[in-house]
Amino acid sequence: MIDEGQYLLEIKNFGVEYDCADPPVRAVDDINIKLAKNETLGIIGESGCGKSSFAMGIMGLLNQANVEGEVIYKGQNLNRLPEKEMRKYRWKEIALVFQNSLEVLNPVLTIGEQIGEPIKTHYHNSSAEIDVKVIELMKKVGLDPKWRQAYPHQLSGGMRQRVLVAMALSCNPELLIVDEPTTALDVISKNEILRMLQMLQKELGFTMVIISHDLGVIKKLTNRVMAMYCGRIIEKGLTSEVLRNPLHCYTRGLLNSSPNLFKYKDLWGIDGEPSSGISTNGCAFYPRCCQHEESCSHEKPSLEYVALEHMVACHKGGIETFLKAVNIRKTYKLKEMEIVAVKDVSMEIKSGEIVALVGESGSGKSTLAQVLAGVWKPDKGEAFFKKKKLEGHWETKMMGGMQIVFQDPFSATSQRMKVLDVVKEPLDIIKWGSRDDRDEAGIKALRAVQLPTASEFLDRYCHALSGGQRQRLAIARALVTRPKLLIADEVTSMLDPSTQANLLRKLKGLQNRQGFAMLYITHDLHLARKVADKVYVMYQGEIVEHGVSGDIFKNPEHIYTRQLMKESFRDMI
Amino acid sequence: MKHNRIMKLFEYGLTIWIIITLNFLLPRLLPGDPFLLLSSDNAENEEIVMTQEQRDYYESYYGLDKSMGEQYVTYIGQLIHGDLGYSIYYKVPVSQIILGRLGWTAFMVVSALAVSTGIGVLLGSVSAWYREKWPDKLLFFQMILLSEIPVFLIGLMILFVFSAWLRIFPLSGAMTPFEDYTSWWDQLSDILNHAFLPIMVLSISQMGGIYLLVRNSMTTVLQKDYLRTAKAKGLSQKRVIFHHALRNALLPVVTRIFLSLGALVGGAILVENVFAYPGLGRLMRECIQVHDYQVVQGIFLVVTIFVLLANFLADTVYKLLDPRVNDSGKV
Repeated sequence: MIDEGQYLLEIKNFGVEYDCADPPVRAVDDINIKLAKNETLGIIGESGCGKSSFAMGIMGLLNQANVEGEVIYKGQNLNRLPEKEMRKYRWKEIALVFQNSLEVLNPVLTIGEQIGEPIKTHYHNSSAEIDVKVIELMKKVGLDPKWRQAYPHQLSGGMRQRVLVAMALSCNPELLIVDEPTTALDVISKNEILRMLQMLQKELGFTMVIISHDLGVIKKLTNRVMAMYCGRIIEKGLTSEVLRNPLHCYTRGLLNSSPNLFKYKDLWGIDGEPSSGISTNGCAFYPRCCQHEESCSHEKPSLEYVALEHMVACHKGGIETFLKAVNIRKTYKLKEMEIVAVKDVSMEIKSGEIVALVGESGSGKSTLAQVLAGVWKPDKGEAFFKKKKLEGHWETKMMGGMQIVFQDPFSATSQRMKVLDVVKEPLDIIKWGSRDDRDEAGIKALRAVQLPTASEFLDRYCHALSGGQRQRLAIARALVTRPKLLIADEVTSMLDPSTQANLLRKLKGLQNRQGFAMLYITHDLHLARKVADKVYVMYQGEIVEHGVSGDIFKNPEHIYTRQLMKESFRDMI
Repeated sequence: MKHNRIMKLFEYGLTIWIIITLNFLLPRLLPGDPFLLLSSDNAENEEIVMTQEQRDYYESYYGLDKSMGEQYVTYIGQLIHGDLGYSIYYKVPVSQIILGRLGWTAFMVVSALAVSTGIGVLLGSVSAWYREKWPDKLLFFQMILLSEIPVFLIGLMILFVFSAWLRIFPLSGAMTPFEDYTSWWDQLSDILNHAFLPIMVLSISQMGGIYLLVRNSMTTVLQKDYLRTAKAKGLSQKRVIFHHALRNALLPVVTRIFLSLGALVGGAILVENVFAYPGLGRLMRECIQVHDYQVVQGIFLVVTIFVLLANFLADTVYKLLDPRVNDSGKV
């Protein structure tokens, strides 16, 4: 670790409050950062989360706001420094690449003058020297020096971005704050700008803070990242780690909304809108969080370590773990032979996660599912639902617990029972609500899986239903208790593509809005690639590979996984 | 580009033609004719009533007996030769009378323009910088008040206070009559002494408009992103305000200054009459009273040409100041 004095920038209890509004709007709240030389830090978050206010606040550029806390740059507290003293730090020590817009450059001054004028102010060089320096800077950012006679309106967006970078580098700052460097740029200019920033940072060795809502930019340019929400840091860690394995529902929501993360996955934005910045008592993300509980609204969560170099501000310690299985082993005895169906399998399913369990038939997937659901007792190992050991089916005998949908709908639903009775059976067992409540919940569940709800249908016996209908009925029965975790064993195999798509979208919706989780067992890798967040690959009773779906599908490591994918993705239409 | 320029030229030509035509028509629509008051230096005491024969003679002498169409053609023909006609009342060429008076009006208008612009820009900037604080509130109130009082009323009040009551400045005229100046300096100070009050009144009447415009424009500019950029670069406050802000804030002001020339000339007519200042405004009043068509036409024409010239200058100067207007996109 670097010791205290060596940080280039240390920010303590930093806050920004716009007191011109009534009630005052708190744009940034209680931020603490330590930034060592040469480091690159990314700040991510939705628009209006306080990213830009934070950057402007560091530079003392907020006129109408109250800036609190300490901004210690090389041992000097910049906050509350008189304007005149502050001017010496601006640009010479800390420079900003402003968010690109036509208005960010003065329309009546030439590009050359605007790039060169800080040099004149800070170093008092002669015009000829400044001109040489301007030409050098423009070459460095890949602009033809002849453009220095041009006015801002004559440049394209990409060129303007380069001018902004050149301008920021004019006084060789030690700290460069870059605000949304690639918004509104086409892909080619965007990549060029990113490469250029990377190269310049290597060459000039400045410390960099990058503010962006584009996670691709953050991934490319930064080592460390922090996610901001309503002015507070809610997650912070190494970029590679946070982007692969976010521990806060908000950060995961940002990732799920990013199209450039994994091309096969759907886009899901975060529901609801951010609170207006008026300070609340509890967790600011509480109203939009998919795992919120009433207790979250009492106190602000503090930023705590949950893993090495990974901090999260959440009352539940980040995204909850729903299911945890440790070293599960299951053997079948076949006369003299002993078949190990599940061999020391460990698994973890978090709130709001769809985990696909893939593998060929007979690899032990269904056995594992049945052990997890408590149908079989494992020979060894144990499983936990929400940190409580699974035994005696407590987890299925409750609302919001865990449910399983078996592979074969014909044996899963009794053909001598009526449709409605099958659907509401779990509710009848736990005696939930009144009879009418249960009927209503049952009908709702049927509707959710696109089954008819006319009384004629409700009174039909199950043997009169088709395979697809029986399968949907089984799913409806599982969903009627509004489970948090669903173990779904090949549940869509008998459905036509349209019903399958509708059902999966419904489940994805539940996942993103309410933190519903699912263990999705399938041998259809197309589907798995589309819906899963994490993937476990099972082969001969063992988990041979597991991880984030994007990683596994892009770069499968195990030879079996590779072969499986090769076979599966051969039949693209 | 070239096409544009031709269009522009055509526009100016058309404007001039319309104005010349109006110029020709308007005095002739006045009731009465120039010969009612001819030959009497003071219309009230010594009125000479001409006989019908005399009037016919004069009318044919000045070509006023011809049809309007013929008169119009003659008028245009004269103008093309640069001939503004011959004053019926003063009996000298119109151009000579106008040239003699033009200097005084031009001097007053240009000075008032400079003074009102200078003060307006300064106060407007101060107001914008301290927006919603007491200097702004005070200035705003004062300027609104001043700009709402009609110019002749300000003129009269100032005349009463400074000339009649305090006797600091002369009551009327542009120079002390029959004065022998010992040096050019004496002459200049006498001229300035006479011009001070009229210029002040005219300036005050224009200042409010400029002030409000600068205040508005500056306030907008001060909130622009590029000002935050300038500030972030650590530039001195002076440079931020004068180099970055004012240059942008003055753009609309430049147009306004040139366009306000018309209003200034209008104001000058009133002010000249209040202070008995021997400019074009006073000449115009005199000539309208005696129906001296030729001189009135001449004055209108000269004023028109000046205002158009000002418009043209406004366009040109704006192009020099704002690079965005020259949109050829070349470097």
